[in-house]
Amino acid sequence: MVVLSDITISIEREHDIVAARQKGRELAARMGFSGTDQTLLATAISEVARNIVSYAGRGTVVLSSVEEQGRRGLMIIAEDHGPGIADVGLAMRDGYSTGGSLGAGLPGAKRLVDDFELSSTVGTGTTVTLKKWLR
Amino acid sequence: MSVPILKQGEILIASIQSALSDRELVELRDELADRVGRLRSRGVVIDVTALDVLDSFATRTIRGIAYTAKLRGAKTVVVGIQPEVAFAMVQLGLSLDGIATALDLEEGMLLLQRWPK
Amino acid sequence: MAQLGDQTQAQLLMRDMGLTSQNIERRRQIVGLEPQDLARIAAVKDLVLGHVEELTAVFFDYLASLDESRPLLNDRVLRERARQFKREHLAAMVQSDYGPSYVEQRVELAILYGKAGLELRVFLAAFHHLLKAIGALVLKQFEQSPLGGFDHFISLKKVAFFDIGIIVDVIVFDRERVIRQQQDAIRELSTPVLQIRERLLLLPIIGVIDTHRARLITESLLKAIRANRAKVVVMDITGVATIDSKVANHLIQTVTAAKLMGAAVIVTGLSADVAQSLVALGIDLEKLNTVGDLQGGMEEAEGMLGYSVVSAGTAPAAIQT
Repeated sequence: MVVLSDITISIEREHDIVAARQKGRELAARMGFSGTDQTLLATAISEVARNIVSYAGRGTVVLSSVEEQGRRGLMIIAEDHGPGIADVGLAMRDGYSTGGSLGAGLPGAKRLVDDFELSSTVGTGTTVTLKKWLR
Repeated sequence: MSVPILKQGEILIASIQSALSDRELVELRDELADRVGRLRSRGVVIDVTALDVLDSFATRTIRGIAYTAKLRGAKTVVVGIQPEVAFAMVQLGLSLDGIATALDLEEGMLLLQRWPK
Repeated sequence: MAQLGDQTQAQLLMRDMGLTSQNIERRRQIVGLEPQDLARIAAVKDLVLGHVEELTAVFFDYLASLDESRPLLNDRVLRERARQFKREHLAAMVQSDYGPSYVEQRVELAILYGKAGLELRVFLAAFHHLLKAIGALVLKQFEQSPLGGFDHFISLKKVAFFDIGIIVDVIVFDRERVIRQQQDAIRELSTPVLQIRERLLLLPIIGVIDTHRARLITESLLKAIRANRAKVVVMDITGVATIDSKVANHLIQTVTAAKLMGAAVIVTGLSADVAQSLVALGIDLEKLNTVGDLQGGMEEAEGMLGYSVVSAGTAPAAIQT
């Protein structure tokens, strides 16, 4: 996979969530994603960025335009150095939440994109990688 | 207060003009809860036409508004959810069960006016 | 070239194909263009520039010898433009600048070939012929050191293969686009949303529903709800062959999304078999408002909208004239 361009948005306050999803929508539009896909991406960014604010306090969201095997996509990497997730399987279960949200966050975000990866180490932090490909 | 709340008869209209941060949404919730009681409103219309994203937090807050308003005797109608936003919400697994929805402000007002007193 | 806004057709195509400056750089890496190649190309620059007309003629004479290139050569406008592009190509090929504007020229030429219906194999043969002629010129200049001449030619050849890569991709992309458009057209035909009355839509679903199709159905329904200001939708699933839990979930999502926009959905055509199998699967259809058949669904929908249908024969005399 080749990264063609990327933007890093630091997430420190909840206002940054709005900025991150707006940047994501702009990038998606420039890349030629449909209106619906732009909304799906913006919503997914909102969820993972909020996860950072709710659980880790601060972190970054990196939005990149990528290319792999002749297809192009938008990749979202949400990274924090917060407490980490003890039970990743549980966190991905629908309806599970420790932060008082609806629990739609991560499993919901997964349904909005094509590829989803979550890696987390307790005490070290969490990285969520999402990708959506241009049809 | 970033969301103007208009009073029209017994109905309060909160017209969201631009993307809101979590804090602004919570402020809107508290402000509406306060006014519903003070003004003895019978209905609340939340116009989200301008929102391009309704994520889990926003949806939860809107539910909160509707339930609080209900406890204080007012009915809530959410109007103006855009097609792309509705699609993203169901993909995310969100719904507004038990809360009335309408296509736009006009429809929402009609819905509330027809509601039996 | 056709101007669309302030972007040329070639620029739009480059955007759609993802031909960004990073992608172009990657393409240069793939063919192995290195600084030493650029130095060698600079050494033969004047040679090639001095023979642009002659080399252009080699390319077009070869095309002229092939019946397959008639569509291009018989159209005077296209032919002259192709000639001009080829001259510019030869000149640009030795400028050692293979960035976005160079690629734009290649894309423009590929669009022209596509328009003229020039087959890829015919183009490749003529291009090879042209390279052979360039090779002969280079080797002649390096008579004293044939190996050096070979190296110089290989450096130019890397540029040539860089060019071919772009031209092939443009042509393939264009063909795939036609296929995509046809697929979209078929899909659109397969999910019609019909306005039956003011504010009442009918959505007949026929055939197999997969995730992709479910998405298209939902998207077109939601857009139609807004466009027609619909309040009630009758979704008829008589024509859906099998409904498993996945399909049922898709249908529930469609109904939920319509509801978010303020439209009620009535589902009709759920056969007894399907209903029983859904119960057996433990799927909760509580959220769906189901009515046995399409006719019943339409009546219910009309009731919700405040219409009442009476047959002309029994209509009250008062409204007969």
